[in-house]
Amino acid sequence: MNQTAKFYTIALAAIPNSGKTTLFNRLTGASQATGNWPGVSIEQKSGNFALGEYNITLIDLPGAYSLSPVTEEERIVRNYFLQSPPDIILNILDARNLYRGLGLTLQMALSGLPMAVAVNMIDEARRQGISFDLKVLSQHLGVPVIELSARTGEGIPDLKQDLYEVIKHPEKTRSPHISCPPLLEKAFIEITEAINQSGIDTRLDHTFLAMRLLEEDEQEQLINNDKVATLVQQWYRRLKQSLKTSVPVACANCRFNAARGLAMEVLHDQPVFEDQLTKQLDCILLHRFFGLPIFFLLMFLLFQGVYGLGAPLQELFSTGFEIAGNWLAGLALSLSWPIWLQSFLFDGLWQGISVVTSFFPIIALFFLFMSLIEDSGYMARAAFLMDRLMHWLGLDGKAFITILLGYGCNVPAIMGTRILTSSYSRILTMLLIPFTLCTARLQIFVFLTALFFSPLIAPWIILSLYVCSFGAVIIIGLILKLFRIGGSPEPFIMEIPPYRLPTLHSIGLRTWYELKDFFFRAATLIVAGVLIVWLLIHMPADVPPGSAATWAGQLGHMLEPVFYPLGIDWQETVALIFGFIAKEIVVGGLAVIYGGSDLAGQMSSHITPLQSISFMLFCLLYTPCIATIATIWSESRSIKITLLSLVSGLGIAWITSFVFYQSGLLFGFH
Amino acid sequence: MTTIQHMPISALQAQCECIIRSLGSDNKTAQRLAQMGILPGTHLHIIRVAPLGGTIEVSGNQGQNFALRQQEIAAMTCEPVAMPLTSELVIVGQTYRIRTLMGGKTFCQRMERSGMEEKERLQIQRTSTKLISVYLVDLNRQVELGGGEAKKIIIEVISNEPNR
Repeated sequence: MNQTAKFYTIALAAIPNSGKTTLFNRLTGASQATGNWPGVSIEQKSGNFALGEYNITLIDLPGAYSLSPVTEEERIVRNYFLQSPPDIILNILDARNLYRGLGLTLQMALSGLPMAVAVNMIDEARRQGISFDLKVLSQHLGVPVIELSARTGEGIPDLKQDLYEVIKHPEKTRSPHISCPPLLEKAFIEITEAINQSGIDTRLDHTFLAMRLLEEDEQEQLINNDKVATLVQQWYRRLKQSLKTSVPVACANCRFNAARGLAMEVLHDQPVFEDQLTKQLDCILLHRFFGLPIFFLLMFLLFQGVYGLGAPLQELFSTGFEIAGNWLAGLALSLSWPIWLQSFLFDGLWQGISVVTSFFPIIALFFLFMSLIEDSGYMARAAFLMDRLMHWLGLDGKAFITILLGYGCNVPAIMGTRILTSSYSRILTMLLIPFTLCTARLQIFVFLTALFFSPLIAPWIILSLYVCSFGAVIIIGLILKLFRIGGSPEPFIMEIPPYRLPTLHSIGLRTWYELKDFFFRAATLIVAGVLIVWLLIHMPADVPPGSAATWAGQLGHMLEPVFYPLGIDWQETVALIFGFIAKEIVVGGLAVIYGGSDLAGQMSSHITPLQSISFMLFCLLYTPCIATIATIWSESRSIKITLLSLVSGLGIAWITSFVFYQSGLLFGFH
Repeated sequence: MTTIQHMPISALQAQCECIIRSLGSDNKTAQRLAQMGILPGTHLHIIRVAPLGGTIEVSGNQGQNFALRQQEIAAMTCEPVAMPLTSELVIVGQTYRIRTLMGGKTFCQRMERSGMEEKERLQIQRTSTKLISVYLVDLNRQVELGGGEAKKIIIEVISNEPNR
């Protein structure tokens, strides 16, 4: 480590459910930046804070159980450690259960990098009557150990003090000893020797490197030294034969034997694992008969909380924007700006910005409630309850909640896929959500069914559309599962954490960051999309907007052969182009296109009921809106996935409408 | 006498407890469990089965609570150590010890009156769908139990003791 540098990188590494995010928030406060790890849809967070005269960048690594990767997240952590080791490691242990995390802690302590261990949730451990001697732990690991509670802030100054000391005195730490079967020990010694001789330049301890190499299937990628690689492979084969288990499992066994001994030494009394409150709550919330009804009740409340409160707020926002827009437009008019500029500014740009901001209330409420469910520990229970059903689609139980919330609005639902544990289910869910019947689509359906069907039949049509949407999600889920889009599924082993009271601080911070994130990642794309559609509808400049002579009208005419078999005329095709901006404006778009005062009368004389259903089916299945596509892109950071979503939506919509309309004609409806 | 076996999925019911002997084939599940510290020798206690079935919540003896699918446990080799009296893992004629009575107060009192107390040893003599007859070894007494009652009695395997 460079002694004179004032900038240091600390990597925050811990197993899942150890309060990593809370500690990260506690240390970095409001100075966070989010991005993605290169090439994957996994979030990378970093933040800054000061330690005396040092500037610290804290990197929040994804939760990992070990440096021998099983999941995509763990692969990221492994690669990070081997390829660009941080200056200092900050590891977290859960005070309520040291054993769980010690496997990883031991691995990291062996790395030879300066390190500090935070024993988190000390307040809750105390309440459970757990007490321990952290000096023993510190001596064993050879690194400072600090007890703290990230939730209450207790012990944070001590942690900062210790981290400061670690930077000031970065002497090489003494590595803990882990006893292994003799053959494994011999393998480590020989490989370490080979690494010593190879002259590889690394800050990592050579024995640690030897262990890492031996536990890997893909050693070649980690070290470009043929001699070492060959030796590792020889040992790998030899060990595999004589150990009777795989090498990583054998190594895990050694680590956890040490961890068990260490945990026992550190704890004063017999450990108390049971949290009575959790036990009692689970008896009710996971009850054989009451568990599911309670779950559905909570989901109903969640849905109502997000959208029941969100919709009026959204209304308020858009009314505000409309009033402000009208006022500004009046100003522009009085200054006699060119008509096209006025239209561009207020029908295009202003409209785009208003679309972006209209998402703010629901995204805020969505993450407020989502964090509540997640931080309290209920999310894991929900996943447990719904697992059987979702497993059938190749997803885990948590995906149910995000898909369900898609029925309100797709945008926050897609952002919510971040709660899913594997990138596999994240991508699958992201591709499924656009087929949910969101409230904006519902507006079109309510308008059209009221127009074309008697009040007796109309609700049934809407119900059928909901059934269609469920069906589409299931069928497309099965197809995606079949074609293995999104990689191979990860094993479903989900920890069920004890219930905890979420803090306002962490919920507020999370919501704030999600909003900021949405604004910076998706907003430009949404505005750009709205502007493109504006161009289509308003160009060339000398014709009435939305009319047959505009680019959109011409496009509608051009696409006539494509949409004719669906019973969709060019006017509705243009409305579908409007629908790319947002489904809310489709009905308004139709009014512009038909250009008359009596939209209902014009439409009902122009379109047959069969055609209207075909149109609604198309609306249900094709791309929900630009904002959804922008969010899929910003969440997946993959052009492939974004295009797939776009193309699959349009393709499936076309096929469904085609089959429906043509068979309707065959059966003599019109 | 104990048996090491692949546990059938239908036997993976609440209150069943087993010791992992091998994590089974070297797949991602085995790897993941190993990295979580669930290794051969770990006691797994099944807390509950999800309402829709298929998924179970288990706790390891180091206090890790987690959910996984029944088929994933079935792929491991496990040695059953405790189970409800009605479990299909119970072997007729073998001696077991009562670990806990899961019912309420009246149930426990009723059981105690017939000598079914914790730590009591018993042998299963005959099982049918309705009545299960057990023989209490120490009291030299025969007891007939209904299926509903037997379900609430958790018994554990006695190792290294003569099978009388």
